[in-house]
Amino acid sequence: MPDPHPQRPFNKAALGRLVDVSRAFGPLKAVDAVSVDFFAGEILAIVGENGAGKSTLMNILFGMLAPDSGHVEVAGHKVSFRSSRDAIKAGLGMVHQHFMLFPGLSVLENILVGAEKATRSGLVDYRARRAEVQELMQQFDFSLSLDQPVGKLPVHARQQVEIMKMLFRAARLIILDEPTAVLTPHEKDRLFQMLGRLRDDGRAVVIITHKLDEVMEVSDRVMIMRAGRKIEETPTRATSRDQISRAMIGREIASPPKTDSRKAGIALEVRGVSVARPEGPLALENLSLSLREGEVFGIAGVAGNGQKPLVEALVGLVPLSAGQITLGGVEITSLDVGARRRMGLAYLAEDRMRVGLADAARIYENTIAGREGSRAFSRRGWLRMRAARQSGAEVIRDYDVAASGPMQRVSDLSGGNKQKIIVGRELAAEPSLVIAENPSWGVDVGAMAFIHQRLLAAATRGAAVLLVSSDLEELFALSDRVGVLYDGRMNGIFPRAELDAYRIGAAMAGKIGGAA
Amino acid sequence: MTLFRHRLFWPLALTGAVLVSLVLFPSLWQMVLAFLDGAAGGRGHFNFFSTLSRTSLIGGMALSVFLSFRAGLINIGGEGQLVIGGLVAALVGIYLPGPGVLVGVVSLLAAMLAGGLWALLAGFFERVLSVPLLVGSLLLNYPASFIASYLVSHPLRDVNSGIAQSHRIAHGAYLPRFSGTILDYGVLLMAAFGIAIIVVDRSRVFGYRARMQGISPEFARASGFPVTRMYFQILFGSGAIAGAVGFVAVFGIAHRYVDGMLVIPLYAWTGVVAVLLARVNPLWVLPAAFLFAALQTGAAGLEHSAGIPREMAQVVQGVIILFLAAGGQRFLQNTTGEGA
Amino acid sequence: MSVFLDPALFQSLPRFFTPILLAALGGSLCQRAGVFNIALEGLMLIGAFAAMAGSYAFQSWETGLLFGAAAGLGGALLFAWFSVWRGGDDIVVSIGLNILALGGSAYLLRAVFGARGSFDSPRIIALPQFGLPGLRDIPVIGGAFAAQSLLVWLALFLVPLLAALLARHSFGLRLRAAGENPVALAAAGVNARVIRTEALVICGLLCGLAGAQLSISNVTLFTEGMSSGRGWIAVVIVLMCNARMWLVLLTAVVFGFIDALGFRIQGLGMPQQFTDALPYLLALGVLALAYRNHRNPAKDQG
Repeated sequence: MPDPHPQRPFNKAALGRLVDVSRAFGPLKAVDAVSVDFFAGEILAIVGENGAGKSTLMNILFGMLAPDSGHVEVAGHKVSFRSSRDAIKAGLGMVHQHFMLFPGLSVLENILVGAEKATRSGLVDYRARRAEVQELMQQFDFSLSLDQPVGKLPVHARQQVEIMKMLFRAARLIILDEPTAVLTPHEKDRLFQMLGRLRDDGRAVVIITHKLDEVMEVSDRVMIMRAGRKIEETPTRATSRDQISRAMIGREIASPPKTDSRKAGIALEVRGVSVARPEGPLALENLSLSLREGEVFGIAGVAGNGQKPLVEALVGLVPLSAGQITLGGVEITSLDVGARRRMGLAYLAEDRMRVGLADAARIYENTIAGREGSRAFSRRGWLRMRAARQSGAEVIRDYDVAASGPMQRVSDLSGGNKQKIIVGRELAAEPSLVIAENPSWGVDVGAMAFIHQRLLAAATRGAAVLLVSSDLEELFALSDRVGVLYDGRMNGIFPRAELDAYRIGAAMAGKIGGAA
Repeated sequence: MTLFRHRLFWPLALTGAVLVSLVLFPSLWQMVLAFLDGAAGGRGHFNFFSTLSRTSLIGGMALSVFLSFRAGLINIGGEGQLVIGGLVAALVGIYLPGPGVLVGVVSLLAAMLAGGLWALLAGFFERVLSVPLLVGSLLLNYPASFIASYLVSHPLRDVNSGIAQSHRIAHGAYLPRFSGTILDYGVLLMAAFGIAIIVVDRSRVFGYRARMQGISPEFARASGFPVTRMYFQILFGSGAIAGAVGFVAVFGIAHRYVDGMLVIPLYAWTGVVAVLLARVNPLWVLPAAFLFAALQTGAAGLEHSAGIPREMAQVVQGVIILFLAAGGQRFLQNTTGEGA
Repeated sequence: MSVFLDPALFQSLPRFFTPILLAALGGSLCQRAGVFNIALEGLMLIGAFAAMAGSYAFQSWETGLLFGAAAGLGGALLFAWFSVWRGGDDIVVSIGLNILALGGSAYLLRAVFGARGSFDSPRIIALPQFGLPGLRDIPVIGGAFAAQSLLVWLALFLVPLLAALLARHSFGLRLRAAGENPVALAAAGVNARVIRTEALVICGLLCGLAGAQLSISNVTLFTEGMSSGRGWIAVVIVLMCNARMWLVLLTAVVFGFIDALGFRIQGLGMPQQFTDALPYLLALGVLALAYRNHRNPAKDQG
């Protein structure tokens, strides 16, 4: 690591600035009179909770949203971008949290789209462009093979493609939205080195994040946002993690206390399970796992290392090519989803809009799903409408969902409230096994604490919880044990006492993990 | 004010423009009268009953389409299912001896079975051979038409009639008509289907599951619905209703199978249009079908008295769909096809 | 079998595959751009009608060609407006356009030409025909290179041209990007809607020309619904070839061959309905083959 806080004279003329920018969505002031400067040769961290207005602010800077008032300046001139195209022309670049890539196109083609430098007849000189890209890669020490389709690359390499795109467009002001969310600790270190090189090259770098350790590690200056406002802006070395945290949240959120509620009985037993892909190697290979009643078992791993096949195999959405699954002592390998659910399986799906919820349907229609055929909600195939509506009302009440009633459509609710509907539905049946996939993605801090508390309560009641998460903090806070998936195999299982980000990170990157 | 601008302006402006032009151009008024007369007039409201009779066919096809669209299955092979149903109904009607009522009932059941199986064939292509339902069901329309066309042109042809059509079915098996009209009891059958579909959609667990699956197939699977069974049940039901429409067309109206009689009037496609106009809401499916039936019979009336070709009705239908599509609402989830 | 494989069969081959090929080339561009255009049938039909009308009205094949292309273009712009710009579902818009084409051409046939079912007239001038001097002298298959319409050669020329467009041209790159991820394309500063509209425009022109091949080259008359499912065969080709233009050509030729063969067998007493059904059965089989790798789609991790 280079020295994170080098003494260097800042070039005081800002590369870009936002002046008194505001933007409202309906009654909500997403950004409220925020001003900030972006200096060459500096890494600025913008921190805040979900919904604090960070992304809106950056979308305004990048020309994807017009401000209601205030303006953007680049190199001392007032500009009004009508689209990101204008922003790119003015020397801005942005790596979105959800990468803006074309999976079927090659790395080189991804870099060139929109910046082809075509001849007058429109032809693209791929050979010349390739040479230019290779030169840039050398300069910034990237390693990418330009002819591979991007869809086949691991996540950190895709991020490099995104950064390469900006460098190829000669961006001077570079914005990265939650760049570390998908990386292992080691990949994160490499990214930060790269950002350091960009800074030293005289570019302005902005990272948006809510991970405070990273702010302290990489940034030169930090700006804290809360509820659309700029709360504080300070050189990083003049502040501390706790100070930032207090300014960011503005209130105390008690994280639920974790106690060991493990019981003797085995809830879930997975023996030698493999899942095939349509072609290529197994998606999940000879995986064994055993969860006790009341245990929270965390699954860590870089996305795409077998989490999805594991979850789908347990839920019954994909067939096994080998192995056995038993739930509460009964073999369920050949049972379908409905039968497994009736035996006490609950599933909090990561893709809430399509898998977890029927978005266009009413709340009560969502809360009865999975139990619609049970005696609680039907008799001889006729729906019991009153009971169904009642179940919707109960979830709204017990989970503090901001909704007008069970007849409201789910699509009208916010992300956190949608997730509460799912958690409420799945936990209402008192399941014996809960499979939770990134349960706090994209929800605000309050809802996250609430969901964590409910999951722990389910475990205390005796349910086994399999928690798949890409957020190590979440895994460490809730799990009794954490298993690391790498390349479809279990690469080490760590008991709570041995949880350590760098050891787990090494296991996530495929190095030999621990065992317990 | 905004309500006025967004909701009321265009309808009011349009109505106003229509009224003004009616006053200014009396011939236009004549055309409207001709249209209404074609759709509902005639001696003893003959044309009205003919509109109703057409409604039973279009409405039946619309119900068939509704059933699959509601569950997110893009079955646009209604035409083939209709043709096969009509063909089988005619075959049974011609060759099965016995009392008329029995022949009728057996024909209906056979037509429904045949239509349902033809739809399942498209399902087989999707589930076993991975050919998207949209394309598979559509491609199967052509072999169905060709089979029917071949049979009534060659082996089963009523040679004396001079055109490609089958013999008549047994006279005693004709669907009865409401006295003094050309309207047969087929319309009651379709109304019964319509009511049954509304009830199942609203109150049965099956209807609930199908509706949810139409909103999100992944949600249906993850919720543990018996999706594979539902898939085939819905396809079969959809095809069976189309087959029943074929039965009604043969037993109620033509009393034989005439080459092209179920294809050329675009009953199946008009059914799709009606479902889209009804925004895949079961309550509005039959009224929408009535509207299009009236549009077609009215256009026929207009052709009669004003010389405007009746194909105008199809043009209007096409335009309606285009504007419906652009209405912003997505009617069809789960649209297969790779580029989409 | 050799009874059928005579020069006349090969002579007739291009006129069977050319309409399918033109429409499938256009449809492939749409597919790559992310537009699921299944209105090829309708676009072809209005092209056929307009080409006949243009040729008839001015007694010249040039105007016929122009009218056909323009009508296809107009239909495609209608598609683009309702689907790309107003957010309509591609499938619903396609259904609307197909019905509109069927009804509209039949309506105009009666309103303008006073004909029902079909219309033909000596005033309808056919497209000129050329042969390729060297190749047409090859025995048996040489017929395919003798005296074929202008559009046959154009269609064949378009295959490498469009392949090169996709592979080497900036528009081709953006077109493929638009189909992969329109949001990312917008972030790269390119409007996917514009790209898709352009793809539709090309597709409309090609379908219009495909229609012209039907009504002022294969025959010189217009029949209601004369595209008779060729647009759907083109859709099948689009689905299975994934914009590999040479494969599009090969598949179109296979379908054309089946058509041509069916036509010959018919002459030998086989009922027309069987030979007519052949392409659709073949299409189902071919699709099942093309999709065999899609089976059991355990979702690939993104």
